[in-house]
Amino acid sequence: MNIAVLLSMVPDLVEELEIAPSGVALDTQWLRYLLSESDDHALEQALLLKERYGGKVTALALDRGEAEEALYTALARGADEAVKLTGIPEEGWGKRAAAAVVGAVLKESAPDLILTGVQAIDDMDGHMAGALAGILGLPFVGVTRSVDAPGAGKVLVQKEYPGGMAAEIEVDLPAVIGVLSAPQPPRYVPVARIREARKTRTISEREAPSVAAPEGLVIRRLFKPEPAERAEMLDGTPEEMARQIVTILENRGLVR
Amino acid sequence: MSPSGILLLWIVSLVALGLFAFRVRYLLGLLRLGRGENRLGGVGRRLAAVAWEVLGQRRLLREPAGVLHFGIFWGFVVYASAFIFSLFKGLLPFLPYPMPEEIGPVALALEVFGVVVLAGIGGAAFRRYLLRPPRLEQSRDAGVILLLIGSLMVTSLLSSGFHVVATGHASFLWNPVGTGLASLMVGGGLAPSAASSLQLTMWWLHMVLVLGFLAYLPYSKHLHLLASSFSVFLTDLSPRGRLRTADADGGGPDPLNARNFTWRELLNPFACAECGRCDRVCPAQTSGAALSPQKMVHHIKEHLLEAGPYLLRGTPRNGHYPELVGGVVSADELWACTTCYACMERCPVMNEHIPLIVRMRRYLVTRGEVDARLQDALTATSRYGNSFGQSPKTRARWTQGLEVPVKDVRREQAQYLWFVGDYASFDPAAREATRAAARVLHRAGVSFGILYDGEQTSGNDIRRVGEEGLFEMLAEKNIATMQKCRFDEIITTDPHAYNTLKNEYPEFGGTWPVVHYTELFDRLIDAERLRPARRLGLRATYHDPCYLGRYNGIYEAPRRVLRALGADLVEMPRNRLNAYCCGAGGGRIWMEEAAGVKERPAERRVREAAVLNGVGTLVVTCPKEITMFRDAVKTTGHEEGLMIKDLAELVEEATTPEVSGHA
Repeated sequence: MNIAVLLSMVPDLVEELEIAPSGVALDTQWLRYLLSESDDHALEQALLLKERYGGKVTALALDRGEAEEALYTALARGADEAVKLTGIPEEGWGKRAAAAVVGAVLKESAPDLILTGVQAIDDMDGHMAGALAGILGLPFVGVTRSVDAPGAGKVLVQKEYPGGMAAEIEVDLPAVIGVLSAPQPPRYVPVARIREARKTRTISEREAPSVAAPEGLVIRRLFKPEPAERAEMLDGTPEEMARQIVTILENRGLVR
Repeated sequence: MSPSGILLLWIVSLVALGLFAFRVRYLLGLLRLGRGENRLGGVGRRLAAVAWEVLGQRRLLREPAGVLHFGIFWGFVVYASAFIFSLFKGLLPFLPYPMPEEIGPVALALEVFGVVVLAGIGGAAFRRYLLRPPRLEQSRDAGVILLLIGSLMVTSLLSSGFHVVATGHASFLWNPVGTGLASLMVGGGLAPSAASSLQLTMWWLHMVLVLGFLAYLPYSKHLHLLASSFSVFLTDLSPRGRLRTADADGGGPDPLNARNFTWRELLNPFACAECGRCDRVCPAQTSGAALSPQKMVHHIKEHLLEAGPYLLRGTPRNGHYPELVGGVVSADELWACTTCYACMERCPVMNEHIPLIVRMRRYLVTRGEVDARLQDALTATSRYGNSFGQSPKTRARWTQGLEVPVKDVRREQAQYLWFVGDYASFDPAAREATRAAARVLHRAGVSFGILYDGEQTSGNDIRRVGEEGLFEMLAEKNIATMQKCRFDEIITTDPHAYNTLKNEYPEFGGTWPVVHYTELFDRLIDAERLRPARRLGLRATYHDPCYLGRYNGIYEAPRRVLRALGADLVEMPRNRLNAYCCGAGGGRIWMEEAAGVKERPAERRVREAAVLNGVGTLVVTCPKEITMFRDAVKTTGHEEGLMIKDLAELVEEATTPEVSGHA
């Protein structure tokens, strides 16, 4: 089975986020990027499938921030191939445009299974995986906690629902799966192994194909959450404070 | 002796020696499974170690029971020497010398040591079976050996008695015991002729027992008689705080087996006498965790005996060789170690437990088998250069609002490059001590600077959890950064950083002198650059950090500073090289609580300090200890009675001129 894992780099929140002068994007000048957490799980899920059933895992990342680091780490962890999509504009793309670009690449390589994180801190509503499935015209299941491939031509996924419910769903391949978590946490890969991967493995680079992407959303303003109105502090003796409380309640029409 | 007697002696001797040689040859073959390691340089220091530890029994004598072993050991030396002469005389009667016991002074030595050894054996049996100290096994092996040695002495002394009766040569000077026994025997109606044959019986019994002992020895825990002198002679002469680089030990995910160890590492279990000293001082073992250094070493032996035959033949068992980790050694025991060095400090045969543990941890790390919290710490360290997962830019945040300037040594020359370390930089409680240290240095007019966001964690504990690649990366980055700075010496408040900077960085090209702040404060007080303005009227005890004390031998500088401040210093029962670890080292501070822990090491330590009469302050000189002990005083309910203070805070207090509160 050929598995493609899409890895997205997201801003590292240990650094303070700043808004760019344009007012509609993050200031990327000092930004550091790290691999999105659920993509890390998607990679782990792919490696688990490979270990169990054989096959080939290709890690794919848009060239942003420390994408190379993430790809070498993926190779060190057991991925067979790593592809970096270059030529991404400075300000990046919206998720749907990114999905269109990645979709064009994956259409060519036509893997049996495409895994990616179901959401990311810059994609909390999880556009990426679903949009990708739509572009490729493939079945999609999101929020999975395990993916298994007991038979040919299909996978068995466990998907979580609110309220402590879970479902087991059979999905025909090829398909796109939005991974919430792998059955086990992403494994630790020692630095020596990553350093070795840097010396002995190569990442293939690919110019991102230009695709006309329908961008339905326009960011009008990006801003830091504005603090809500501050709480009103009462002081005085207990009697005075009690009187103040009564006045407040009366003024708001809560007591008569 | 009759010709048939001589023949019989030849047969018995050859059988015993044959069994002995057969086993020893096999054991040497097992050792040769290990990889090469050079342990032959510095013969003088090695001989000195043998003189102290083997002949002088120095480490054994740290426990009162060591006196018993001392007596038995020297008795053994005397008897073994006499036995060799005796055996050759028996085998080759034409040899031109008398039997050893026929020489007056030798006879006296044999009798005196016979009594000493009997007393030693009696004491040892009393201790093992009646006192039953913790972690001393009641093994059959031990019982057999006590009986055997006892019998040897009894046969020898009785033989002397029979000899006196048979020959009538009584001599209180040369045969006090024999002569005494003889008068009892004569009193009991023993005839000289009967005595003569009894003496021969005793001689035979003695010979057969000794030869039996010889054959039995390499099959038992008393192999230590043979191996321990070698293990002491072949001790590691490099600094205690330097771990060996991970050369060829696997690296791949193949299961670990004897071939991944060096021959010296495989020698450890052969030298082990199963005395339990390591267990009794081990913070993991004594707090209930899965690790017993004694058993861990024994596990290596079990593995060696299990896997050895397959490895020697080169034929796997059912497709693979028996595994060590996950086989006889569990991951839990390996992760429980704090690398405090107490076991290695105590071990009478100078076994090297920590390198074994780190080697096996490296294997676990290679396989990605680390607990979740440790994984977070390692991931954070490789990404941000600190285990706190903080932005590198915030490393020097402790300098904000500080009353004194702190140079950026990357831009400005300074006498001291202050390597601050993770805990002193990021931990909120430790940061206060760091600030105090900065103010004290400034007050003494010391020129110092820090690396700000250029510093990465030193990697001492990263290396000890077995993440060798990450350690090397950190060391290389730090050294590259420091090489661009102009300074004379490195100073640090962190004993862990101190250890690796001083002992391990030189191997990576960082060869600067390193000084701990306690040493510098001591010098500054001595040079009167720091003048205590008033005496601290407090009664305090001092905790020796493992990486400052046992690893680097700095015991007195912090104590001298405390005394100079006018503190009334009271020692805990376990101090200096016997100090009990706080439980944070070896990466333990990043891991989940070890399974099975009933009382954390820090809590045990705090209780030890709290019962000292009138002591209200526990002084520490390691940033990790501040958080460890402040937690422990809370969980043990000693928060009111025992303050945890960093030495820098006390120095600052004492050197601050008294300001009148009623100005």
